Amino acid sequence: MSWQGELNRYLASAYKNWIISRRNIFTVFELFFWPMVSLLSIGLLTRFLAVEGSMVSFLLVGAIALTILQVAQIDVAYVLLFDMWSKSIKNTFIAPIRSYHLVFGALLFGILRGCVVFFILVAVSGHLFGFNFLAGGIFPVLAFLAGIFAMAASIGITVCISILTFGQKADVAAWSLSGLILLVSGIYYPVDVLPPLLQALARAIPLTYFLEYYRSIFIPGPHHLAWGCALASFYLILGLILLDRAIERARRTGILLRLSE
Amino acid sequence: MVARMKGKSVQASGICKRYKSFFGRSSTIMENISLDIDAGDIFGLLGPNGSGKTTLISIFSTLIYPEAGSLSILGMDARRNRNAIRKCINISTAKPNFPWSLTVKENLRHYGMLYGLHGSDLSRTVRDQIDAFELGEFQDHRFEDLSTGLKQRLSLAKAMLNHPSLIFLDEPTTGLDPDISIKTRQLIRRIHEEEGISVVLSTHYMPEAEMLCDRIAFLRQGRIVALDTPHNLKRHLALGERIAVSYQGEADLAVLEEQPGILGLKAEKGRVEIIVDRSEESLDGIIKLFAKAKITDIAIKEPDLEDVFIELAR
Repeated sequence: MSWQGELNRYLASAYKNWIISRRNIFTVFELFFWPMVSLLSIGLLTRFLAVEGSMVSFLLVGAIALTILQVAQIDVAYVLLFDMWSKSIKNTFIAPIRSYHLVFGALLFGILRGCVVFFILVAVSGHLFGFNFLAGGIFPVLAFLAGIFAMAASIGITVCISILTFGQKADVAAWSLSGLILLVSGIYYPVDVLPPLLQALARAIPLTYFLEYYRSIFIPGPHHLAWGCALASFYLILGLILLDRAIERARRTGILLRLSE
Repeated sequence: MVARMKGKSVQASGICKRYKSFFGRSSTIMENISLDIDAGDIFGLLGPNGSGKTTLISIFSTLIYPEAGSLSILGMDARRNRNAIRKCINISTAKPNFPWSLTVKENLRHYGMLYGLHGSDLSRTVRDQIDAFELGEFQDHRFEDLSTGLKQRLSLAKAMLNHPSLIFLDEPTTGLDPDISIKTRQLIRRIHEEEGISVVLSTHYMPEAEMLCDRIAFLRQGRIVALDTPHNLKRHLALGERIAVSYQGEADLAVLEEQPGILGLKAEKGRVEIIVDRSEESLDGIIKLFAKAKITDIAIKEPDLEDVFIELAR
């Protein structure tokens, strides 16, 4: 098959997600309403508590990171959720595609949506709270976003694996997994304040390191960006392998048929 | 018409499928299915609801995997060459479903992209299928706004996107109005003849199987209970032609039953239904046995697959 044909197999998921999002009024909520609620509530809280400058950046970096993560990860999960909700999974899995076609196509659209949200939040946080997110230059921003999108892909893949393993009811994972990340990866507080067990869990989550890295621009301190990148890559590769296995298992157990009924 | 292909489109031997529940309880869905389907044939899977037709189609189309047995699709081993097989086959599912908010054209584009079509080739293929299945008027209608018949046509159009050598049609006319069913059957016949595609279709509509299929496997509780041409199935089950004779007076039914070519008879007062192997060979002899009676009516009915279905589903 030509490279254009292979490329189109990736783009198929992005194309589907784009059209469905375009026609769904609730996309406005996903792209504007919830991100703004998240940013404004944290920003206003910092004013109410009279939080000083570096702590404002600590909290706003967390709020922006969490919002982009949620938007991008749900797009990866949508690649299976849309098929499951419309009961058209058979039509997708009869085609000669692999898990990475689905994941990277959907992630591409997730990155696009994530970037839109990012620019809106950066502009609003600068305008309302005087926070210059881009103060560290372009490379730190790119590294930070790349880390978040890799993390989003891993969470989206985990949602897909859950659905293929446990069936339709597991779609709740699409919204609850990012809550777990919020709790343990130091979105609004340093991981040092967590109990030892949760601290160990936080150290296993790449987002912890990307937050630590980006915050070091505003509050100088050590960071472990390389370790975060290594972990993110490991989870992404592991996720793709496990997703392929989950698809094969779903074909053996017949869950793939039940997801279409 | 395209010349018929040689070889086998499906070779299955000892196929078994079991489902395990979360707690480990196992139930057998398919047991020891063995069959060959000639390339270029329309092959029918018949059986009552729950007999395993959809499961078997799903196994043949590599959507799900069997626990045991060997399976070859278009000459390729179904365990080793799944992706290669998927490039050459396609399916139209029972109760066709597609992403709701995509239009007919967008759905075809999306699935065309999954098959690696691109550029002008993708646009042309989508346009060709829209034309072939008379979907032009509805190409910008969302899937959720389509009637059942149009959804079925979209499903067939999608199944043709990759120019498959073998397509699986799972109950392609279920839920359709009679006129749309007839049109759909004509479409299937046309696809088969013009493109030379092998077709495996499941149905529980007897006229559909009789009209379309070269051979039929009758499934019951996950097993094949009969496999033959429609004509032979009727013959082998001794479902001969039925001669119904209404009469007044006396008729020696005991002698009638012993006549050659008589497969059985059912008598009630003034009427007897005689099942014969071939009516043209038996009719003369039967009429002679009613010499002392007055025949008031006589009717000959050929057996159909409905009779086969009733007989085998028992």
